[in-house]
Amino acid sequence: MPSRKARRTKDGPELPSSLIKNLFSHYAQVPVSKDAFKVVERSVSVYFKHLSNDLKAFANHAGRKTAEPADMELLMRRQGLITEKTPLNVLIEQHMPLEYRELLLPIATSGNKVVPPKLK
Amino acid sequence: MRRTVRRKTLKDAVKRHEPHLVLRGDLDVLVFLNFLLFLHRLAEEARTIAIAGKSKIIKYEHVLSSAKIILKKSRG
Repeated sequence: MPSRKARRTKDGPELPSSLIKNLFSHYAQVPVSKDAFKVVERSVSVYFKHLSNDLKAFANHAGRKTAEPADMELLMRRQGLITEKTPLNVLIEQHMPLEYRELLLPIATSGNKVVPPKLK
Repeated sequence: MRRTVRRKTLKDAVKRHEPHLVLRGDLDVLVFLNFLLFLHRLAEEARTIAIAGKSKIIKYEHVLSSAKIILKKSRG
């Protein structure tokens, strides 16, 4: 018998709906009606479907079976998120919580070492 | 407010649609960044539409029409 968790990940939203709800109402800054969140969740689902399709297409085009961070950067460029004025690092700095930021942005540590080395 | 999810959840979100695609390195974290920016755009567009319709709260139809615009912009 499948566990409850396994069933939920199958047809529920991709990410926890409380997270989606919190983030959306944080970004919206005005009150959001209850049924509006349903549309938000549904569009997040469509968004993830398009995203994974795009990532696969980019990887296939490069003759790979693995999607790499460079593919994501290209995708964000095509979405008009990364521009000349706002490079990826700026977006990471502005939008990501600290836990993720330190994974992505290079930090100089003692001994003149930079961790992580470079975003590939 | 909780703003992070387990990285496994992020990987599963992509894996659900493309089960055979392998994600390398920190790609899943970048996916989360992209997701945040998507929600940001969606919320801003919905708010603009709501205010243009002289509504003080964001309703079902505002999100619906903003989702149409933003999903189109998020195509790769």
